[in-house]
Amino acid sequence: MQHGVQRVNLSQEAKRLKLERDAIKTANYRQLTAKLFKLRDSEVYTIETFNETTQILLLNPEFYTMWNYRRDILIHLRPTIGDNDYVTYLNKDLKLVLDVLKRYPKCYWIWNHRRWCLFELEELGKVNWEYEFGVVSKLLEMDERNYHGWQYRRVVVKNIEDFSIKNSENSKDSEALILLNINVKEFEYTTSKIKKNISNFSAFHNRSKLIPKLFQYFKQVSVVPDNLKELHEKVFANAHLLLVHELELIKTGMYMDVDDSSVWLYLRWLLSDSFFVEDLTKEVYISILKEQLSIVEELNQLEKEDHKDHWDHCWCLKTIVFIKVLLAQATDSDILSEEIKSHLNTLTVIDPLRKAKYIEQISGRAKIV
Amino acid sequence: MSEESKVESVEFIEDKHVQYVIDQDSHRSFEYWLSEHLRLNGLYWGVTTLITMNKLDVLPENEVIEFVISCWDEKSGGFGAFPNHDGHLLSTHSALQILKIYDNDLKILDTKRSKIISFVKNLQLEDGSFQGDRFGEVDTRFIYNAVSCFALLGELTPDITEPATKYILKCQNFDGGFGLVPGAESHAAQVFTCLAALAVVDSLHIVQEDTRLIDWLSERQVLPSGGFNGRPEKLPDVCYSWWVLSSLAMLGKQHYVDLKKLENFILTCQDFQEGGISDRPDNQTDIYHTCFGITGLSLIDYKKYNFKEIDPIYCMPVEVTMKFKKWKYNDIPV
Repeated sequence: MQHGVQRVNLSQEAKRLKLERDAIKTANYRQLTAKLFKLRDSEVYTIETFNETTQILLLNPEFYTMWNYRRDILIHLRPTIGDNDYVTYLNKDLKLVLDVLKRYPKCYWIWNHRRWCLFELEELGKVNWEYEFGVVSKLLEMDERNYHGWQYRRVVVKNIEDFSIKNSENSKDSEALILLNINVKEFEYTTSKIKKNISNFSAFHNRSKLIPKLFQYFKQVSVVPDNLKELHEKVFANAHLLLVHELELIKTGMYMDVDDSSVWLYLRWLLSDSFFVEDLTKEVYISILKEQLSIVEELNQLEKEDHKDHWDHCWCLKTIVFIKVLLAQATDSDILSEEIKSHLNTLTVIDPLRKAKYIEQISGRAKIV
Repeated sequence: MSEESKVESVEFIEDKHVQYVIDQDSHRSFEYWLSEHLRLNGLYWGVTTLITMNKLDVLPENEVIEFVISCWDEKSGGFGAFPNHDGHLLSTHSALQILKIYDNDLKILDTKRSKIISFVKNLQLEDGSFQGDRFGEVDTRFIYNAVSCFALLGELTPDITEPATKYILKCQNFDGGFGLVPGAESHAAQVFTCLAALAVVDSLHIVQEDTRLIDWLSERQVLPSGGFNGRPEKLPDVCYSWWVLSSLAMLGKQHYVDLKKLENFILTCQDFQEGGISDRPDNQTDIYHTCFGITGLSLIDYKKYNFKEIDPIYCMPVEVTMKFKKWKYNDIPV
């Protein structure tokens, strides 16, 4: 699969020349492949064949069957070479995988092999999750939206949690405290990523997963440790405080880049998810909605002044509709008010891609929220 | 005033695409051999491209079937991507899809049939998810591969569908989309696999009216190109024409996006010289983007192109999938 590679149309002659030039490479590759299949079918599991799988995997890191063979070789070698050497091999493979990942950061098969090595090491109690944490942090510095990278980070964190709990005294309180400390760091990591680039939706996503967890852990610990007292008192003491804190965080974002959808998606979650809303009295909820509405309306006004035809801003208006519907729901009033219909009408013009959706919403055939 | 649907028409170069698919197998470059691990998937993409354009007869049926069968891995009971490669769910799914196009009863599988069924069944984990092979990689893609395999084989059972459904629902996020595993960020391709898997096991109604999901999907269309991206704030890519539009189609909301603009985006990604379609205009083509560009065009307007209508759940022609026994089996009148 080619992603983001510029098109080059080779002439017939150029194709023929390339084929000729590649002939030796191709022959070697196919020869090595055939040899390794033969060895695999004869169930040969030696260090020599192991090294040959390295050769082929460096040529083609997506050759999953060769990764499989490599793993089978290691599994079979383990009783002969002993656990110490087995660990050495696994650690060497982690290094190999890291080198290959730098070239192919989106290749599933390579990530898969890394995961397998780590779980083998884990079984022997020889895994260094903190090191993995460093690896994944570096990777996300290189590509802050890498889908695999973020997923891997969550896996590493989960393992650090399990490892830390296993090695602690066995009380419920200490468990919550460990989880709290680890996840606060993750929470702060998303804050720093968002502050660095407000368009980092991956960071917002992770935050949406961390917040309910942290809220729970703060509740579970009997005494909040000194280093987290401020965070607890100012942010996590209750859902209301937390909501206000998060709204404040994205307010700057809205102003910084009004066209960025990450912030708007996150705002929708904050204002409508039962996790926040259930803990608020109706009055407080309504006042928060009204405050947010006025912020977005004000921003929309600024955008309107800047627009050549004085159009509403697309994301602002979508959000205004969203908040107004929430307000109507909270106050048991008519959702399809003339005002909302008129906004939806405007959206058919300023967001024409999704025109049909707005038309159905105006006629009441489709839900808005 | 608006930018709506103001698009010039771009020619669809069908003959060149047909030749492009045929050529896939004839140019045995170094890169061809380096992509063996994708060959059966590639064949499925090629066959689907051709059958959608009503041109499947340009491939020799016997050779196609023979090649698929030659990829069967006796040791695991599944299909590998190429002869001698290990069985994997991804290639097993592609194999069954190709064979099903030629033979709805899958008679060719013969004694392999029961082994394929156990291969797939044994990959389901306790939480309802599926691993791709015995080495433990878990991904919502594999749930789709697995339930679709069972659907093609007519072998779905509640002990497969119920835990799978529960697991899929755990993968839904605050934005309405679905990720790779619980906790993972929403991604359009994973949304497709989750929705299509739910549809296969007759559980799509659970998310049918989810406005967050519908909004998230329709927001994937971006300007100025009119193409779809796979996640917020990412570049558009032709393959999402399929992943996103099929998802919207399953939910009956295909008309929520500007199909004309999307059509135009796909057409501008064609290689007018050599055929094939790329991720974005002027990029390198491949059979994967060619397939999902053309199946995307079928979803947009199959009549206009004289294509076959594509089933958004199975990514196979409706004339093929209409013959499938659909879950739940006992609801079908005898």
